[in-house]
Amino acid sequence: MLQNLEDLKSEFTSALAEVKDRSSLVNLKADYVGKKGKLNDILKTLKDATPEVKKTLGMKSNQLKEFILGEIDKQMTALELSEINEKLKKNWQDITYRSSLRDQGLTAAGYHPVSIIQREIEEIFSSMGFEILDGPYIEDDYHNFEALNIPDTHPARDMQDTFWFQDMKHLLRTHTSCIQARGMETRTPPFKFIGPGKVFRCEATDASHEAAFHQLEGMMVGKDISVANLIYFMKTLLSEIFRKDVNVRLRPGFFPFVEPGFELDIECLICGGDGCSVCKQSGWVELLPCGMVHPNVLKHGGIDPDEYNGFAFGLGLDRLVMMRYGIDDIRHLHSGNLSFVSQFKSY
Amino acid sequence: MHISIDWIKDFVELPDMDPKDLAVRFTMATCEVEDVLTTGELLNRVKIVEITEIEDHPDSDHLHLVKFTDGKEVKQVVCGAPNVAVGKKVPFAPLGTTFAGGFTLVPKKIRGIMSEGMLCSETELEIGDDDSGLKIFEDSAPLGVSVGEYIGQKSDILLDIDNKSITHRPDLWGHYGMAREFAAVFGNPLKDQFNKEWEAKIKGWMTSEEAPVSISVEPDTCNLGFVGITMDGVTIKPSPRYMQDRLNACGMRPINNIVDISNYVMLELGIPNHIYDRTTIKGDRIIVRPAGEDKEFTTLDEVKRDLIPTDTMVCDAEGPSGIAGIMGGLDSSIADDTTGLFIEVANWKDAEVRRTSTRLGLRTDALQRYEKSLDSQLLERTLLRLVELVKESCPEAVVRGQVVRTNMPDYTPLVIDITTKRICSVLGKEISDDEIVGILKSLDFGVDNSAGSLKVTVPSYRSTKDIECDADIIEEIGRVVGYDNITPAAPLNAVNAVRLSEAKQKSRKILDFMVNRAGALEVMTYPMVGEKLLDQAYWPVKNESLVLANAMSPEASIMRPSLIPSLLQTAALNQKTYSSFRFFELGRSFLEDSKNFSNERYQLGVVSFDKKDSPFLDTANTMEELLNSLNINFRMVPGSSDRNELYPKNWEGIHPYEMLDIQIMGRSRGFVGTIHPLVCRNFKIKGQLVMAVIDLTDFQDQEMKDKTKYKPLDRFPSSLFDCTVVADAHTPVEEVVAVLKKGIKMKELDWVKVVDIFTMSDSQKSVTLRASFKDPGKTLSGEFIREAEDKVVKTLESKGFPLKV
Repeated sequence: MLQNLEDLKSEFTSALAEVKDRSSLVNLKADYVGKKGKLNDILKTLKDATPEVKKTLGMKSNQLKEFILGEIDKQMTALELSEINEKLKKNWQDITYRSSLRDQGLTAAGYHPVSIIQREIEEIFSSMGFEILDGPYIEDDYHNFEALNIPDTHPARDMQDTFWFQDMKHLLRTHTSCIQARGMETRTPPFKFIGPGKVFRCEATDASHEAAFHQLEGMMVGKDISVANLIYFMKTLLSEIFRKDVNVRLRPGFFPFVEPGFELDIECLICGGDGCSVCKQSGWVELLPCGMVHPNVLKHGGIDPDEYNGFAFGLGLDRLVMMRYGIDDIRHLHSGNLSFVSQFKSY
Repeated sequence: MHISIDWIKDFVELPDMDPKDLAVRFTMATCEVEDVLTTGELLNRVKIVEITEIEDHPDSDHLHLVKFTDGKEVKQVVCGAPNVAVGKKVPFAPLGTTFAGGFTLVPKKIRGIMSEGMLCSETELEIGDDDSGLKIFEDSAPLGVSVGEYIGQKSDILLDIDNKSITHRPDLWGHYGMAREFAAVFGNPLKDQFNKEWEAKIKGWMTSEEAPVSISVEPDTCNLGFVGITMDGVTIKPSPRYMQDRLNACGMRPINNIVDISNYVMLELGIPNHIYDRTTIKGDRIIVRPAGEDKEFTTLDEVKRDLIPTDTMVCDAEGPSGIAGIMGGLDSSIADDTTGLFIEVANWKDAEVRRTSTRLGLRTDALQRYEKSLDSQLLERTLLRLVELVKESCPEAVVRGQVVRTNMPDYTPLVIDITTKRICSVLGKEISDDEIVGILKSLDFGVDNSAGSLKVTVPSYRSTKDIECDADIIEEIGRVVGYDNITPAAPLNAVNAVRLSEAKQKSRKILDFMVNRAGALEVMTYPMVGEKLLDQAYWPVKNESLVLANAMSPEASIMRPSLIPSLLQTAALNQKTYSSFRFFELGRSFLEDSKNFSNERYQLGVVSFDKKDSPFLDTANTMEELLNSLNINFRMVPGSSDRNELYPKNWEGIHPYEMLDIQIMGRSRGFVGTIHPLVCRNFKIKGQLVMAVIDLTDFQDQEMKDKTKYKPLDRFPSSLFDCTVVADAHTPVEEVVAVLKKGIKMKELDWVKVVDIFTMSDSQKSVTLRASFKDPGKTLSGEFIREAEDKVVKTLESKGFPLKV
């Protein structure tokens, strides 16, 4: 009897090896461990055996049954897997046929490069507690000139610099400093804000000149603000913009709305101050005008210059954009050419 | 402007330092030095040699092989000059010499024979006008000596000053004023050259006779003072070498002693002047008056200029002899036989002469100075300096009479009160009272110090425009101390909570949405457009009151009445390159406004383009999502295409059926529409172009509350019911859905949506609807659902949408 079970096991093992599909496996299962299966056949012959024999063989036959079921289960899983894999093998997609390879027209999405840099700078100022203000493009003489201490006779008011409307009283703002003038009117010190935006100059366009471009104006007014504060502030700001420590220097510069007024130079980032073609061998690059707000400008803004003072600065955004991305022609910025803007895409 | 260091040294001692460092220090304290140049290098290189031997060039009939000696060695050049002769002393430029214009001598064979340099003419060396042959020196000229040394030309260092950096400093438009800056910056005293004794010396040459030329100024001119003097017995001749060199260095051509003196004094003292041949002054009278009836005038440069009645003219008894502050006339200039002079030094109102100059397109060295607001107090000193130099050049010349003056303005010195404490506080640096007072005095300010309270008297020439208040005094101290010597310090400031304005938050959200969700590219276009573009877009509104008076081109002359024409133009440009795209602009357009001049509109314009398939629904969905994301209450409804607030009435640019009106706060503030094929054709756009515009102006400042509220999750299943009905081919599907949404009053009806639309024929389509029923408190019974489904079908049928069979 014992021998019969052993024989049955080896017979099953070789039969299992022959099975190639799931239905044969189901049949095999019935053949060996089904009600009318071979294992039961053997067990039927047991009924006349002694209790000891019954016990031993019963245990053995149960072990064999479990073995068979286990093997069939394993085989079943293996067969299923190979069947699915067989299907997958026939049925998979070309995973390289992605959008980047396809001509679906222009699917790029992204911000205009000026927006990118403007947002970056806005974030720096926001983090330092500055408000962000805006103003109209069409300004009046007062906010663009008079409030900023630019007298009637100043050359900036000439036709060759400023776009005037035919009433000769309104104009396209020539700088974001008008945002300064308007910002002061509605605030009481201390305050600090920036004003980014488009400005306009009536000049012939070429690779580095545009009739419409972008500035970012900044102003901080409070008590006992000093030139030392201005330098500190500019150094911090520029180190954030250029993401490294930059050295700055102030030298006298004349702008009617500030006094003292400065040209701020940064140590050339290309040569580190040793002198190169970018900085014309001087080691310094002129970057932005700034200064202590002129008392007349404060007065126009309704602020008492004996009690408060402050500093202001202006930043040319387009130049920063062009420096950051190596853009060689400023006219691309307003061209509406998607071949240009798509180079700065987010997606 | 070039500043000669040699000239500066007439007035102040300079420290022994590298000129480049000197320039940097000056840039940091006074004005921008753009470049440092050296003059006289050419003449220092070129030597005097004697010709020893001449042979004909074997391959040329006009070139010679010339041998010469500098006293030490013999060299040979190929030379074609006609006046070459043995024994003559001529200038020789060795290889490596660079001439004016940048040409450098390099080793070179001329017709096969090596030339070791070049013998030069006067013009090549810029020491004269004779270019007919070699410059021939006197036989006594020493061999081997540089031409510079021989003719007494010194080498000089020039600072090239950026004119823009001294527009506010009229006092820096001459060497004497610049020298004062050097004195202050380097702490050396300025030579007190034009003092009382000097004045007395020159006045000693004047006589008691009546001045031969009278001067007068009529009303309504731009004159600010006029002084003059008469001199006789002058001889016209070349100026001394030093003067010619300095003029050349500063970019002025030497002409003769008198003209040169006029220019020299302008470059020295910064005040322009005019010297007349006195015989040309008709009636011995000079009258300053408005041009009035005079319509034209021929200036020194022989150009006929058109005058307007308000131009100020300098005239004699018969007519104009010069345009005030700009340029004299041809007739009054100095001639070779001039012996009598009238010297004029006048001042003119800055803005008025500049206006005339701008109109005439004539900028001169004189104008460049007058427009900076010159100081009338300096006129007389300038006149005396001119007399001194004429006398120096022609010792035999005599002064006739006294200085004549007229129209001299009153002058009260400007005094500014300031404390040293304030100066230190604004600069953010401790500076001693002594240092502050010392700096001011070195700059010629008068200072009265009483325990740190200063009364500062501003020099007349600094108070014409430049210095007017305490902040200006602070600048004087700051720049001389050096801003480099101020240590950066963090400001002490009150802390305020700041947040972005509503408008800014919205514009950022829109930008982010359009890029990150809508997959669009941001563009920027000019807010100015041209009439042609508007016509092309069938845009009848031409914003007549918002036209630029001085546009650069007709294509950018009108403030755009809408983003739409710009967007069309941009689409037209890009559809040549791409078969599909989506872009947007957050820009401004402008409405005419009789009260506020203009009404600036903040608009979002979105453009979707596809060569084949219409991107309309895609675009509409995007706009719907955008407005939802902004928490804006809006309705998007099929509109009547001839009317929308975002485009003119009856605009022909929009598709008559594919237009959704976007209504916000009860008004139409945007649309999504397909652009009419005719407009596309105008722009040569081949494909499907869809545009959406939203005007944000009226609601961008409002806070849009996020009304999102949590709801408990469903505990009981909902039940779906699909049915397919037949509708007219052009019935908007929204109407079919609305039948159920509005027609079935059942709280259990959760939603109704469209599953599918199928075109059955030209006139009919089938619409498959799905309705969802649920009850938050229980599972719906089978009986209820059957009744509800029945109601759905009946309602649809009753509104003309029968079940499809």
